[in-house]
Amino acid sequence: MRSMLALVLSLVVVVSAQGAPAPLPRDSIYALDAPLIDQSGRSLQLADKRGRAQVVVMFYTSCSYICPTIIDTVQDLDRKLTAEQRQRLGVLMISLDPQRDGPAALKATADKRGLDVTRWTLAQPRQQDLRAIAGVLGVRFRPLASGEVNHTGVLVLLDAEGRIVARSTKTSGQVDPQFLKQVHALLTSG
Amino acid sequence: MRRFLITLGLSLAVCATHAGGPKYVKLPGGEYDSVLKYEDSGSRVRVAPFSLMSVPVTNADFLAFVRTHPQWQRDAVAGVFAEQRYLSHWAGATELGANALPKQPVIWVSWFAASAYCKAQGARLPTWTEWEYAAAADELRTDARADPAWRERILAWYAQPSKRALAPVGTQRANAYGVRDLHGLVWEWTDDFSALLVSADNRDQGDPDRLKFCGAGALSVGDRENYAVLMRVAMLSSLDGADATANLGFRCAR
Amino acid sequence: MRRVPFLLCLCAAIAFVACTPREAATPTPAPVAAADGSAAAKDSKSAKGDFGPPQGEPVKAVLTSPPMVPPATGRSAPAKVIVELEVVEKEMPISEGVSYTFWTFGGTVPGSFIRVRQGDTVEFHLKNAPDSKMPHNIDLHGVTGPGGGAASSFTAPGHRSQFTFKALNAGLYVYHCATAPVGMHVANGMYGLILVEPPEGLPKVDREYYVMQGDFYTTGRYREKGSQPFDMQKAIDENATYVLFNGSEGSMTGDKAITAKTGETVRLYVGNGGPNLVSSFHVIGEIFDKVWFEGGSRFQENVQTTLIPAGGAAMMDFRLEVPGSYVLVDHSIFRAFNKGALAILKVEGTENKAIYSGKEVDEVYLGDRAQPNLAAVTAAAKAATSGELTVEEQMKAGQALFAGTCSTCHQANGAGMAGVFPPLAKSDWLAANPKRAIDVVLGGLTGPVKVNGGDYNSVMPPMSQLTDDEVANILTYVMGSWGNPGGKITKAEVAERRKAKPLAAAGH
Repeated sequence: MRSMLALVLSLVVVVSAQGAPAPLPRDSIYALDAPLIDQSGRSLQLADKRGRAQVVVMFYTSCSYICPTIIDTVQDLDRKLTAEQRQRLGVLMISLDPQRDGPAALKATADKRGLDVTRWTLAQPRQQDLRAIAGVLGVRFRPLASGEVNHTGVLVLLDAEGRIVARSTKTSGQVDPQFLKQVHALLTSG
Repeated sequence: MRRFLITLGLSLAVCATHAGGPKYVKLPGGEYDSVLKYEDSGSRVRVAPFSLMSVPVTNADFLAFVRTHPQWQRDAVAGVFAEQRYLSHWAGATELGANALPKQPVIWVSWFAASAYCKAQGARLPTWTEWEYAAAADELRTDARADPAWRERILAWYAQPSKRALAPVGTQRANAYGVRDLHGLVWEWTDDFSALLVSADNRDQGDPDRLKFCGAGALSVGDRENYAVLMRVAMLSSLDGADATANLGFRCAR
Repeated sequence: MRRVPFLLCLCAAIAFVACTPREAATPTPAPVAAADGSAAAKDSKSAKGDFGPPQGEPVKAVLTSPPMVPPATGRSAPAKVIVELEVVEKEMPISEGVSYTFWTFGGTVPGSFIRVRQGDTVEFHLKNAPDSKMPHNIDLHGVTGPGGGAASSFTAPGHRSQFTFKALNAGLYVYHCATAPVGMHVANGMYGLILVEPPEGLPKVDREYYVMQGDFYTTGRYREKGSQPFDMQKAIDENATYVLFNGSEGSMTGDKAITAKTGETVRLYVGNGGPNLVSSFHVIGEIFDKVWFEGGSRFQENVQTTLIPAGGAAMMDFRLEVPGSYVLVDHSIFRAFNKGALAILKVEGTENKAIYSGKEVDEVYLGDRAQPNLAAVTAAAKAATSGELTVEEQMKAGQALFAGTCSTCHQANGAGMAGVFPPLAKSDWLAANPKRAIDVVLGGLTGPVKVNGGDYNSVMPPMSQLTDDEVANILTYVMGSWGNPGGKITKAEVAERRKAKPLAAAGH
């Protein structure tokens, strides 16, 4: 009995010592436990995005109003970065319609818009996590019976630790110059 | 010996039910006219039968929760889940103190914290529709909203500043469903508070700008006479998930 | 299929409203101002003035509580002005012994007065006190932009928000809360004024005051004591309980009256928060030399009463010539005297009789319908002021007055009533000491008295309504009638007796 206990304890110690990352800052959104599935069917955690700055948006594939322009806005942002800066910035697009936006639909959108999937992740969350994810990002949404979702359009800039550095509600195709300035500042500082 | 065991078993069972925590009341559900006019479905809304806590969650209830879930104590909680004034009326992270009586409704609590509490009870926060449905009742009728007296009582509460000490839960008479304190005590979180897509300029009614919320203009208020409910919508739409205020609490639903 | 709405989005270029904006919207780049700083935009006849980007260090706006007004900005170039305003919900007296829960900007009703210059860039910080029950926002009528700022300032209790606007138009503007239900927020006192000075500033005056009218609706009646709640139905019916200047009865009366001196020019910045009623604003005893009606750029002159719409304002200048109390009213006059729309401007200084003399004459005026015999009374009164009367004149006047005053009890022939009222005719009591009759008429008579062999014990009330000359005339008439010894009672004698025994009743 006692040796079993000792074994378990030592395993715990080993495991925890192994991948012991620095503690998460208290205002990081990665404190939220949110499993996701990306456009290639791979499972990941929201917190897996830690380590690289991110621009996060919420959208859904069958959206015909502002979602296309949200993507335009992020692409516009991309174009205004140097190649080196782009490498240090990931893009995470989380679907507001997990019922319909499985990996296939997400992949179709990525292909259609010619998105660079080495940097852009389109993700399907769990239905039960949707409000919480929107809550930490400050997105407001209402699903309709028709399957459409009414929602606010927001670009959220996270640093490598998951802290919100900037938000922009300008999603009409051209990135807000103020927001762009903050992206530059973040990517040049380190 | 057997008799002893039976008595012991019975008393343990009794203790268990007492320690079971807050009481839930069953509501039958049905169709009713919401004060909000939705573009897709109009005002008529259907509510499935559900259960609602008869009173808001108290300081004592919440204290028990943070003791068993230390990640929700105020010095440990992540900043994205609760702003810095979270539980600031308590004397300590696990101590209520003089400003937070056990039977008062818990306040300075964020949506994330409220959701976590309900989840730990095997429950959830009520939806706005469920809350509005339960709150339409007065002591005798399930829908008292047409009665100006009902409206006046609620408006009278809005007119009082928040400086006065909160009453303990459960002191008001139950409404026709058996639920207490939906009005006159604290504002309450709903699960889908962020679905209230109201324009920050609340006067935008019949807003034709469909791009505002990606396919819909701001929510219209169907029954503009019902200021009492309108103000609740205004309140919830001004908040974010990590926010907390001195007059905002919650209760759970199942 | 998706192209059309996509293009629509691009073409429309609408800023999306997210309910919780975290930073101020990017200001649109300002066009370069014309070199002479002239107001009009180049391509239209708009009065909007954009003088270019702010210059110099940001300035913190001086805010004042009513009835005071911040000093002139004194600026000649556009600046960045930082305004910090806090919403406080608090219980305050609305009338003596009556309290009301007001929702306020800056702790007062009306809210703090904001003063900027046309072309200034205003960075507006709105804070909502943590113990507020309601969320609030602000709509400034001087803002060009969605909701007048309301869309960008929706603030939950214990939070703050910020937005920036450029004050493009000069004028005096109302600001108010625009959270639903707007009527209730306004009715609870959430309004104030923002002055956007024209680029050259306003003409200088000696004193400036801030006055704002509002209508209030309580469930209790006017002046019903206690803590009164807001009554929504009365507000919808526009049935005001109180109509007040600066949020409470007596806010500017008594020792809180606003003051000035003769020879000074006073400017009033007057707003009307409503929520419902239009004001007919008038200052009793003064004429507005200039009224910038509706708070705009043009003025009218020589105005007695000016209309101030609900949600509007007006500015007026007037010079004070004579001292006194000047009453500010809403000339829908029942509001002034029965609902509280009254304030006082107390002016001190030297009199100027050439402009206003004060009361010169106060005479009896009986009109054409007077009885002929009362002409004698008038004649006597007139004569009394300029000199002595003859006995005949006095008797004539006295007879007329006796008929109206004394004959009820003592009879027209002086016979009195046996056992009740002593006779005056051939009265031995009067003959014994005629002068003591003066005391009886002035002070009354109680207790037992023996006249002409009869015992009387009644109460004669003092005839305090009679003047000295009237008493003299009546007594002269009595003494000269019905076998009494005659003689004259003069006004001076009566005055002397009145002074000697002012309140005591004559008699035992």
